[in-house]
Amino acid sequence: MTSETLPARRPGLLVGALADKSQVVLIGLLVILCVAISVAAPQFYSVDNTIAILRQCALVLIVAVGMTMLLIAGEVDLSVGASLAFTGCVAMDVTNRTHSVTLGALAALAFAAAVGLFNGLVVTRLRINSLIATIATMMILQGSVYLYTREAVQNKHQLDAFTAIGAGYVGPIPIPVILAAVIFVLGYVALRFTLFGRYLYAVGANQKAARLSGLRAERLKVIAFVITGLCVGVAGLVLCSLMNAGQPTAGRGFELTVIAAVILGGTSLAGGRGTLVGTLLGVLLLKVIDNGIIILRWNQDLQMVVPGIVIVLATWLDIIRRKADAR
Amino acid sequence: MPQSPSLAASAPPPLFRLFVGRSEFALLVALLVIIAFFSLASGTFLTVRNMTNVLGQASLAMTAGIGVAIVFISGEVDVSVGSLVAAVAIPLVTIMNMTESLALGVAGALALGLVVGAVNGYLAAYAGINSLIVTLGTLFILRGGVYLYTGQTAIPDDAMLESFFQIGNGRILDVLPIPAAIAFVLLLVFAYVLRHRPFGRQVYAVGGSPEVARLAGYDVRRIKFTCFIISALLATVAGILLASRLGSAVHVAGLGFEFQVVAAVVLGGVSLSGGVGSLFGMALGVLILSFLSNGLGMLDLATEWQLVITGFIIIAAVGFDEVKRQRR
Repeated sequence: MTSETLPARRPGLLVGALADKSQVVLIGLLVILCVAISVAAPQFYSVDNTIAILRQCALVLIVAVGMTMLLIAGEVDLSVGASLAFTGCVAMDVTNRTHSVTLGALAALAFAAAVGLFNGLVVTRLRINSLIATIATMMILQGSVYLYTREAVQNKHQLDAFTAIGAGYVGPIPIPVILAAVIFVLGYVALRFTLFGRYLYAVGANQKAARLSGLRAERLKVIAFVITGLCVGVAGLVLCSLMNAGQPTAGRGFELTVIAAVILGGTSLAGGRGTLVGTLLGVLLLKVIDNGIIILRWNQDLQMVVPGIVIVLATWLDIIRRKADAR
Repeated sequence: MPQSPSLAASAPPPLFRLFVGRSEFALLVALLVIIAFFSLASGTFLTVRNMTNVLGQASLAMTAGIGVAIVFISGEVDVSVGSLVAAVAIPLVTIMNMTESLALGVAGALALGLVVGAVNGYLAAYAGINSLIVTLGTLFILRGGVYLYTGQTAIPDDAMLESFFQIGNGRILDVLPIPAAIAFVLLLVFAYVLRHRPFGRQVYAVGGSPEVARLAGYDVRRIKFTCFIISALLATVAGILLASRLGSAVHVAGLGFEFQVVAAVVLGGVSLSGGVGSLFGMALGVLILSFLSNGLGMLDLATEWQLVITGFIIIAAVGFDEVKRQRR
């Protein structure tokens, strides 16, 4: 039972030493994959393709940053996929009505943050397990997005600024990648160097102890939900801009991809453990696999099978590695 | 209930919540309120035909829910059922098309279910991987596998066996749908096993506190392994019933089914942290969601409204239960 005693044994080193070691497996897998795909298909190892992979990572990573914080605090949000689609529709609709990309973006952020706040309040006030509470929110959002709009909301005025959010470049780097990088750095600093970050780990590791030592556990969790919501807002905006329309059907299964990436990165579902660097590696690994399958011209349906195997395999390898460490 | 004292005495603390008391009672009231409301709101709701229809629709989630609830009680999670119900239909229909035999088809489906359950159980119980990760993995793998194998189309049932049609669509005495009867029998059997057989107590003990259960001499890993097998086999039965209702192996069958089942199981008072809950609670959870969706459908509300209202009711029901529990 090494996995159960580890976090208790050295709670102070959670962020540092423990995390670095658990990423060895991921980095190893990532390197092996990249080399293998490059050998089989040289075009994998090109600037264009690297940028393409990064662009695909951006959307997942943006939401995964919030989700990592939430899982560290001991909660989970399954409504992000449904919220992503709804946010995109809101962003497009408001932009169409007001002719202002800024207002559209603000509306998207406000909407997604409100969903996060709702989740947070339901989980902390009504004390509903977040898995079931956010399944319920997912249902509510999936239903109400169709009540809001039956078909995709098109970009009526064809505003260039709106398209730029998802498809634009600064120099050679796509804007979504920059957005993801900024959010990642913000999240990394918040988790690693601020009191807020430490408190999140404390609340997730042992809510009762955290509360007894004077932390406002509930409030911290609500903040984590709202942060996740804001991340979904940004991602929704990017996705909507990429598709140049608000699609009510977008984002199906997105929540599972995000959670898979975060868990793959070594963040514990039980709370109190996890790092954003791990999450980044998890996202990269999943997206390199996706990209490899496309480049090698394998059947696209393998994009579901292979990540499934990799998630289980990576976690298994990590457990074996940890057992070997403990000996 | 003569058995409850002995149960409580032999088991870890969470077990005392097992009594068919408060939590299930509140669910029963909720179910009756829902039925009463829709009976008044719609003339066709409270008819034998409609009631039995709902039972038939509920039987799929009920059958799979038994297994998922048992896994939850043992302290683990199984979300692979959504893909498994689609996957087992492939050997079922393929073998039936080749051999014209329902028994062989069912055997093929159960064999696949057994393999999936064993893989889930081995990885979660023996290799020690978090069961949400394991079953999320198998959820992806199975669905991807179904798409790959079928090329994203349905496999039609060419054998057209009457017996195969009957298990999903037939009615006993022209009233009770056969799937509902199957689900009900399975519910009774497993409720009996969970409450009155040693295995059942072991499941509660393992879920309540694995450490205590281990010290008490239970083989924790074997018990959890068995729970995953049970869950996969019951999901297989649900998959067979679904295939019969659909009349083919449909590649998109059961998409989101795992959410539906998990929602019903948790609504029924089965705790995600293990050791708590009963199969009757789960059954009430399934019935509440089924009657709700049927009733809302009768009111000519768009299906979208059904989703929204169901979501709110889950929050209200679980929230109410939690708030009440804290007051006590």
